[in-house]
Amino acid sequence: MKLLTHNMLTSHVKGVTKGYPLLIKATEVKVNEVEFNPQFVSRMIPKVEWSCLVQAAEQLGHRQDLPGELVPDYEKNEEFLKKVHRVLLEVEVIEGCLQCPESGREFPISRGIPNMLLNEDEV
Amino acid sequence: MEEAASQLERDHVHSVYDKIAPYFNDSRYKAWPKVRQFLLDLEAGSIVADIGCGNGKYLHINKEVFKLGCDVCRPLVDFAWSQGHEVQMCDGLHLPYRDGCFDAVLSIAVIHHLSTKERRIRAIKEMARTLRVGGRIMIYVWAMEQKRRKFEKQDIFVPWNPNPQSSSGFSREHAKPRRRATAQSVSEAIDNTDKHRKVRSTSSVADEEDLTCTTPQQRTQRLWFFSRSLDSVFDFGSLAISRSSSRDLSTLSSPTGENEGNKATHRGRGRGLIKQVSSFFSPPSVIGSEEDVFDSVTDLNGTENQSASVSLTQECGSLALPDLVPFQKEHLKQSGDESDGGPPGKELQESTQSPQGSEGQVEGSCLRYYHVFREGELAELIENYVEELHVKQTYFDHANWCVVAEKVQLWKI
Repeated sequence: MKLLTHNMLTSHVKGVTKGYPLLIKATEVKVNEVEFNPQFVSRMIPKVEWSCLVQAAEQLGHRQDLPGELVPDYEKNEEFLKKVHRVLLEVEVIEGCLQCPESGREFPISRGIPNMLLNEDEV
Repeated sequence: MEEAASQLERDHVHSVYDKIAPYFNDSRYKAWPKVRQFLLDLEAGSIVADIGCGNGKYLHINKEVFKLGCDVCRPLVDFAWSQGHEVQMCDGLHLPYRDGCFDAVLSIAVIHHLSTKERRIRAIKEMARTLRVGGRIMIYVWAMEQKRRKFEKQDIFVPWNPNPQSSSGFSREHAKPRRRATAQSVSEAIDNTDKHRKVRSTSSVADEEDLTCTTPQQRTQRLWFFSRSLDSVFDFGSLAISRSSSRDLSTLSSPTGENEGNKATHRGRGRGLIKQVSSFFSPPSVIGSEEDVFDSVTDLNGTENQSASVSLTQECGSLALPDLVPFQKEHLKQSGDESDGGPPGKELQESTQSPQGSEGQVEGSCLRYYHVFREGELAELIENYVEELHVKQTYFDHANWCVVAEKVQLWKI
């Protein structure tokens, strides 16, 4: 699971009103090199919840010095885009779990795949 | 009702896919051209979700957009992940995504696996929720109106034969390197993904046509259908015999005659209250004197007992299913051959042999449930029940009804 994917994920356990962002508890994290495409990264930035991304990177120990607030004119800031590229696309959680911030329900991640299936009593 | 519906889907959708997943890594399961085009037409930087992505056959299209896929079937998403795709396991009625986060959503051959109208509506609403305003959704569902197949009811079970031998030689050839990729570590798989893709994309279309033109035309197939409508509260009274004179079905079958063998071996697996009716016919065909055999239609006539629903053991050859790309050119399909008028030379045979099952593994379990959609049904479902979607386009493509719809802003007072 890449952090760009994590940015979209939320918990819909019955009764939960704020299942976002999911906390990441990782036991195995990999950094896979992905070709850097500054334009692609620039296009992704407005679509992600920035604070969720920073928090996720922080939880995995890959925040580097990413600012808590989005910097202005990031499209031209290649150094910044490279950092974002790394956390969005290169850092991957292989094993661990995602935790619903409200209910505490854990969704396992195994072999890179989060299992977001809910039990019958959770829907 | 709700419980029955989800149980049915677990038994006749989810667990079937778990079993048959390995055979989806077959080059027949490739992207539909119009779906590919939908993805290619997206603005660079779009975020797309393929809900019910299966093995991820659409997830490699268009490098300028970010795609993620989800499915309930673990083996299928595992394969997709091994190809370097971002995938999750989830249920289509409860998508684990935040509101409005996608620029586009795909739902290809998924909604027809939901067994009540209410669930089909909910699934569409749930996808619409994840779409941003102005974003587009493309939905494909299997059509009731098909040239080479007749359904007498909309709720049917379609068997699937998890027999790799019945896929064509072409498919087997291509299956090998891809399976190898599955066993590789992720990074290797990712490295190789492009290579595989290139191989596939350059060879698939040409090979298909080759296959269509050069393989022996004598082929046989069989398939069973029977019907059970959950919407009509377990309506077992009426019989659904589906007659297929499917040419895409037959062109998918093995050119080597393996299916004839299978047919003999697997004939007559009806059980208990279920009796089988066989029908044979050979439709006319522009590509040769191929013979379609469509036998062993399951008859539930007079069966009132719900528990009798699916105690079938059977197999059938590789079928033309909504998720399969037929091995034939579009123009061939349209040129002259209208087998709608009923299969010539049809014979009905009753077969009440007892099961002789050495293939017990697939017992009953490889029957997939489908709700086949009538013309206009999908668009109406959206227009009448999903107000946040506005239908932009509706068409028929490879035995599927398709809708492209856009999410619109609703002003609530």
